[in-house]
Amino acid sequence: MKLTRRQFLSTSTAAGFALTGLPLRAAAATSQYRTALIGSGWWGMNILREALAARRSRVVGLCDVSADILETSADEVRDLSGDSPKTYLDYRELLEKEKPEIVIVATPDHWHALNTIAAIRSGAHVYVEKPTGHTVEESRAMHAVARHSESVVQVGLHRRIGPHHVSGMKFLKDGRAGDIGMVRMFAHSSGGAELPAPNSEVPEGLDWNMYCGPAPMRPFNSRIHPGGWRNFLDFANGTLGDWGVHWLDQVLCWTDEKYPDRVYSTGGRPIRGEPVLNEREQTTDAPDSQVAVYRFKSFTATWEHRRFAGNNAEKTRIGCYFYGTKGTFHMGWRDGWTFYPSNERESVVHEASQLQEPDGHNMQLLWNDFLTAIEKRKRPMADIEVGHRATTLSLLGMLSLKLGRSLNWDGATEQIIGDPEATALLRRDYRAPWHYPTA
Amino acid sequence: MHVRLKIGPVLIPTFAMPRSIAFWMHFVRSALILLGTTVASAENWPCWRGPQHNGISQETGWNASWPEAGPPIAWRASVGIGFSSVVVSDNRLYTMGNEDNQDTVRCLDATTGATLWSHSYEADLGDKFFEGGPTSTPTLHGDSVFTLSRWGHLTRLNRITGQVRWSTNVAQETGTRIPGWGFAGSPRIHDQKLLLNVGESGMAIDPATGSILWKSANRDAGYSTPVTFKLQDRWVMALGSGKSFLAVDVETGTELWQQRWLTRYGVNSADPIVAGNQMFISSGYGKGAALLEMNASGVNVVWQNRDMRNQLNSCVLLDGHLFGFDGDAGVSSSLRCLSWKTGEVLWTDESIATGGLMAAGNRLIVLSDQGELIVAEASREHFLPLARARVLQGKCWTTPTLANGRIYCRNAVGDLVCVDVRPTAPASSQVDQTP
Ligand SMILES: NC(=O)c1ccc[n+]([C@@H]2O[C@H](COP(=O)([O-])OP(=O)(O)OC[C@H]3O[C@@H](n4cnc5c(N)ncnc54)[C@H](O)[C@@H]3O)[C@@H](O)[C@H]2O)c1
Repeated sequence: MKLTRRQFLSTSTAAGFALTGLPLRAAAATSQYRTALIGSGWWGMNILREALAARRSRVVGLCDVSADILETSADEVRDLSGDSPKTYLDYRELLEKEKPEIVIVATPDHWHALNTIAAIRSGAHVYVEKPTGHTVEESRAMHAVARHSESVVQVGLHRRIGPHHVSGMKFLKDGRAGDIGMVRMFAHSSGGAELPAPNSEVPEGLDWNMYCGPAPMRPFNSRIHPGGWRNFLDFANGTLGDWGVHWLDQVLCWTDEKYPDRVYSTGGRPIRGEPVLNEREQTTDAPDSQVAVYRFKSFTATWEHRRFAGNNAEKTRIGCYFYGTKGTFHMGWRDGWTFYPSNERESVVHEASQLQEPDGHNMQLLWNDFLTAIEKRKRPMADIEVGHRATTLSLLGMLSLKLGRSLNWDGATEQIIGDPEATALLRRDYRAPWHYPTA
Repeated sequence: MHVRLKIGPVLIPTFAMPRSIAFWMHFVRSALILLGTTVASAENWPCWRGPQHNGISQETGWNASWPEAGPPIAWRASVGIGFSSVVVSDNRLYTMGNEDNQDTVRCLDATTGATLWSHSYEADLGDKFFEGGPTSTPTLHGDSVFTLSRWGHLTRLNRITGQVRWSTNVAQETGTRIPGWGFAGSPRIHDQKLLLNVGESGMAIDPATGSILWKSANRDAGYSTPVTFKLQDRWVMALGSGKSFLAVDVETGTELWQQRWLTRYGVNSADPIVAGNQMFISSGYGKGAALLEMNASGVNVVWQNRDMRNQLNSCVLLDGHLFGFDGDAGVSSSLRCLSWKTGEVLWTDESIATGGLMAAGNRLIVLSDQGELIVAEASREHFLPLARARVLQGKCWTTPTLANGRIYCRNAVGDLVCVDVRPTAPASSQVDQTP
């Protein structure tokens, strides 16, 4: 479904959503936030376009470690808004020189903590992409630093505010699916074995040392940049750390419980094969399939992903099933939500998605919510705490997968109980000169 | 030039036609048309963008008025995942695909779709952000077929038997960087050279032995196929590299000029189009297009705008008008006609988002990304479809091929369909065109 911005606004208004951004937009001429973007790749530019469309931002700086991406992104900003942002290869220099009021962070995951904390400490409000951290303690530090500041910190979990997600949550909370005892999150795609791709010299104009940053240095490979870092565990946490965060957040959005008390995960690369990393070539190293089990008090939630076989035996490849006494509720993406009553005489209930295209998201709503939160000095919809909780669950799943055993989790103190080895893996050593963040 | 003539339902077998005879035939055909007889000429399609390297076929007389149910489908085959298009010569068809991390070069009977031979080698599917598989098209020359993989495997095979004459990996052999999505330009035969878009400004190979004649700086290649033309008495090759469009002397590989042309991911994939001393270049990712005026040492920009952004496939130039796809797949894209001279948009049609196209006579043959095959008048006034039919399911980003009364279309997963557009009856439903 392709909606123009105007259609989109009117449909979402019709659906009864508070369009918190509108009054702000009317005031657009009067004040504009000095806005900067760190990580000017695919998603970063998607967010920045929303910022420009909301007309409350003047883009003062762009940062990326690729000179080519910087040049083309600055070109696009000039085209879209007439702003002439300065470009930076080092985010610290950008923060110091431009003193932005709003910073968008859309770097690969291993950079989110350092970028976000530096931006908050420089006095900016931050819109940071999910997952919040690459290890649990990073995410905790981000949360703590945000709480000790005046900054509004929004995490890019646009599903919190997307129209069909909100109405679906209401459907569930109204009890229309009955009592829910089990939840199943999933993301499936097709694929097969993986052969290594040759390493190559670092492309001209790419600061690979800065790209790797706090993560271990490895040879450059076009499978990593752009966008491919998701499936390299030094930079990200595979599908669970990517898609999983969105669906875990949907579960946390629905339940009154704040965390599970036990997490177990298993999986691997039975199809893609053993990871390869040597001087000549490399493969990705994220699992091609994984199951994670989250034990909550009143229900069990499972995650599963497969990067092979697709999922044609079912109606959908992605989303979250809520199993209730009255039937199965599927929260999907482009396919909206659907409720399949267990009583076959009752009819299926469906609501279509209302997404912005391309890429199927609801960032306009989330960005407007961010602006409102700044204006009204209140917590945004997908506050850092929300992002931190969802991210933590994905990271615990990855940790259990790595160790091959269950983790008992004390969510109140955010500690793993009785497992020093696992506890040590809530953080990782940074490559010099970078220092692991603390609050 | 290999030409197959078809006069009414009678086939004149393929033969290599010297120029003088071609000239003669021109007369004969004109005469026949004057006499009111239906005449059609068929054409082979030996390489990417066809015999003239411009995406335009000289074939005439093919059927563009299809019944409600669509044109007859002669056969379907499965050729593996990829975006390699189809080349045809002497009733044999060649394309490539990937299955189980193996690239396979296939030779099929162009009439029946039966596999005549295949040749496979290990090659990663390379499905980063798309289905993956080979993205270049085989090149036919003499008794050989030349193929280039995304990872640098360059092979010369016997066209009839599939036997390997020689095979090498040009990336490994020269230590040349492989661009993000692998090599996508098809090999181009020029004189006694096999020209590749490998390295910053290409590479030349001896087609007899596979040895390297010259190579260029070790920087990212682009994804276009080299185009050759004569500029002020010397043969020049132009291509899109990672960061520019540029021209080199075919003989020596010496660079003549570069026009910086940066796109977000270093993707310059549409072939430059040359007319006289002017060259049209275009890329997607918001970049746009320009008309350049060339001489042996430099270029001037005649015009530049963002109104034709060829992300995947090239435009065709017909009678001073460019026809092609503007915009990125899945974002906002449409079919467009642009004036060569001024860059002005003459029309836009949003009913087809993206895809590939070629031309035959003054007809466009378009395969939309949704698998709809469309024949349209190449009009500067508006988009004028004459026939359209859904022939494939799933993503189609590969340019269709018309050869000898058949249109070959494929999708990303490797379904290949042969659409029969041979003239059915001597009158009525044919696309006639005087040569
Ligand atoms: N919320 C969503 O729906 C959604 C969707 C897609 C992506 N994302 C998130 O957006 C983020 C970016 O993903 P992407 O797909 O755009 O990746 P990408 O690879 O396209 O872009 C990342 C960019 O960051 C740059 N970069 C790396 N290190 C840097 C540094 N130290 N300083 C500045 N720039 C640096 C890279 O050069 C690259 O251009 C990720 O965290 C991802 O999870 C979220």
